[in-house]
Amino acid sequence: MKYLTWSFLLLVFCSVGCAHSPAETSPSAPVAQNPQTTLSTNDQAPSDVDEAVNVGVPHDDVALLDERTEENAVDNDQTSLDQGAIEAEFLDDDLDFLDEETEEEVVSVADPLAPWNRLMFQFNDKLYFWFLKPVSTGYKAVVPGPVKSGVQNFFTNLATPIRMTGCILQGKGHEAQVEFVRFWLNSTIGVLGFGDPAKNYPELDIHDEDMGQTLATYGVGDGFYVVWPVLGPSTLRDTAGSVGDLFMNPVTYLPIGVSAGMSGENKLNQASFRTGDYESLKEAAIDPYEAVRDAYIQHRKTKMEE
Amino acid sequence: MKKIIPILVVLLIVIPSLAQSAQPLDALRGPVDSIISVLNDPQYQDSAKRDVEQEKIWEIIRKLFDFTEMAKRTLARNWRSFTPQERKEFTQVFGEFLGNTYISKIQKDYKKEMVVYVKEEMVTDSKALVKTKIVREALEIPVNYGMKLHDGVWRVYDVNIEGVSLVKNYRTQFNKILLSKPPSHLIERLKKKIEQQKQGKAVSDQAALEALLGAYC
Repeated sequence: MKYLTWSFLLLVFCSVGCAHSPAETSPSAPVAQNPQTTLSTNDQAPSDVDEAVNVGVPHDDVALLDERTEENAVDNDQTSLDQGAIEAEFLDDDLDFLDEETEEEVVSVADPLAPWNRLMFQFNDKLYFWFLKPVSTGYKAVVPGPVKSGVQNFFTNLATPIRMTGCILQGKGHEAQVEFVRFWLNSTIGVLGFGDPAKNYPELDIHDEDMGQTLATYGVGDGFYVVWPVLGPSTLRDTAGSVGDLFMNPVTYLPIGVSAGMSGENKLNQASFRTGDYESLKEAAIDPYEAVRDAYIQHRKTKMEE
Repeated sequence: MKKIIPILVVLLIVIPSLAQSAQPLDALRGPVDSIISVLNDPQYQDSAKRDVEQEKIWEIIRKLFDFTEMAKRTLARNWRSFTPQERKEFTQVFGEFLGNTYISKIQKDYKKEMVVYVKEEMVTDSKALVKTKIVREALEIPVNYGMKLHDGVWRVYDVNIEGVSLVKNYRTQFNKILLSKPPSHLIERLKKKIEQQKQGKAVSDQAALEALLGAYC
């Protein structure tokens, strides 16, 4: 009986050892080490076909070119088999994740004003690097952290009517109440909104709704993508929403000089929290204009779904 | 004594099987915490040691990210029009580009920010979403990781920052490019970006050197 028990335990110990050896399918080191021959044949094949299509080569020649492409493809396979360098994952045509993705996940907003938008994008880019970045860097260096946070809290608090109206119009009664409570709590205990005691209560989480999202909830489509100078990316619907929000922003009703000054301070303060973000986005992008456009659309879609 | 043995046996069977089913959140937490500890490590604070630091972080990233899956998802239907050799090259180049971008960003900008692991959501048995938050001063940035279970290992296939999916963002960019250009063109552009990254590093290294010399001259 004793031997049986101990041999059983031994068996268990052995199986434990076997369990901890996951098969790693780690990708090869990210340094391209492709022999020149395969590379050149690859480059040849698609561009040849491209040329044939563009130049309008007669049918026979196209057939010939097709044969040649096939030959090249066969050569490729042979050379790759010889080297044994192509792992199974790269021969796999399987794109099963496409089935998982629903149609609504694929978001595309028309961009008929693309040339104008690209121009505005360039303008905003220069504006950022020549003006906003140096000024917000200086601002960040001079203004202490708590003061910056205080200013942000103040303006966030002031924008409560926008969020509340957005919640109400979207039928989010509870969220509207939360915004109301937040406003009173932050304005009183948080001293006119500079503090944010409400953040200590998770049930009083901020609900960032605006007119653009409200319109989206009613089924209003994006319209098309537009890049405004200074104001940045938007869509037709979101621009209409922003105009609506202006009427609910208390700052709008102050004398124009004060209003402009306060808006400017708000934007500058916000920018000081995010120095480096735009540069990172540009660095990480192959086509910065498309990257920003897609990022904006995705971001708005996420906010709408919240 | 006789009663303890069956209990011990049961425990010995149950405990290893618990350890075997690694949860996606834990699979993410380990590497991310390692990266943070490398960034905080005093021996790498010297700018001369930056390459060593980068290599250390690369080791962690290579195991955490599934670059092939990411390459497939960013190319989507275009994957089928790439030859196997092009697919392999694209995956290598894109992986290197992504890793460099991510590492240079965190090396430059990391200032003791806190990573909060919020929760994990199992989409299927082999797919999960791990939600985290980066807390930076008064700002909280939600960062969600899409993870997939492959061969018993959970790896990241998508990063979603403030509602913007990395995979979808690159897919839009690549799709636009591939509408009018062949795969080799895209691969060349990625290689050029990598070159720019290396030069940018060289420029900032030189600037750092000059600043250092300037302090002594």
